[in-house]
Amino acid sequence: MEIPYTTEVRPDTGLTNPKLGIWLFLASEVMLFGSLFSSYALLRSGAPTWPVQHEVLSVPLAALNTVVLIASSVTMVMAWASLAPHTAAVRAGDGEAEARSLKRYRLFMGLTLLGGAIFLVVKSIEYSDKFSHHLYPATNNFLGLYFTLTGLHALHVIVGMIVNGFLWGPGARMWRSEPERFANRIEVAGIYWHFVDVVWIFLFPVLYLL
Amino acid sequence: MFVFGALLVLTLVTVGVSYLRLPETPAVIIGLSIALTKAALVAMYFMHLKGEKPAVYWPLGLTAFLFVGLLVSVLLSEGDHLFGTEFGDAFTKE
Repeated sequence: MEIPYTTEVRPDTGLTNPKLGIWLFLASEVMLFGSLFSSYALLRSGAPTWPVQHEVLSVPLAALNTVVLIASSVTMVMAWASLAPHTAAVRAGDGEAEARSLKRYRLFMGLTLLGGAIFLVVKSIEYSDKFSHHLYPATNNFLGLYFTLTGLHALHVIVGMIVNGFLWGPGARMWRSEPERFANRIEVAGIYWHFVDVVWIFLFPVLYLL
Repeated sequence: MFVFGALLVLTLVTVGVSYLRLPETPAVIIGLSIALTKAALVAMYFMHLKGEKPAVYWPLGLTAFLFVGLLVSVLLSEGDHLFGTEFGDAFTKE
């Protein structure tokens, strides 16, 4: 069965189904992370003492990761922008435009994947540094929250990389057969990837700076 | 590209401000304001939320309302402790 409204706009919502779907999913994600952020606020405001966060964690590494993730969001936008203006040409059978835009897309999507990988490497360096100092999730409330929030966020980075990796590799075949639908997939995957960036934008000051 | 530059500058500013070691209240206000600004830039320009359809806005508006509710619930249970207004005192004095 065909999935309806993948490229044409559904009249009652004014959106394609994937666009509405990703936003509803992200709304549920806001509540998932929101519950953990509010747990953080509750535990911290109720605690008689709280560790000085920037002394426990590495601000320079987290700042580096912030820049890496923002840069990977920018390359994700570029990946989409490499495809979106050329859908009509590809549909019309312009082989040269198809190959050129796909090459450009692969470059930027590859850079996005690289950004995600660098982020995870830096994160694992941070984690192993904590473990080597015998700082575990069970050590105190702050570290429990730190590992839960950053662990859940890292899981989102991994899931995003799996999706983006598919779209970089085998999934890119759709660019020839259904260019509009493929460009939409990149846009929707991008919206998710930017959301992961937004979560980190809040995690960085809350866990490291304040 | 302008958005990318703005996001990098704001990241630098928020790290810089944190090294000033301001008292807690202004530090939290400045830190979260910068984070909100960055998140808004990403949402508006990268996620194409600027000029999006109402069918996207209203579920997100509802989510924002519920999210604030989550944080207010913390305030309701911890407000006494945070602002030092223990109503319990009224019953214990004299």
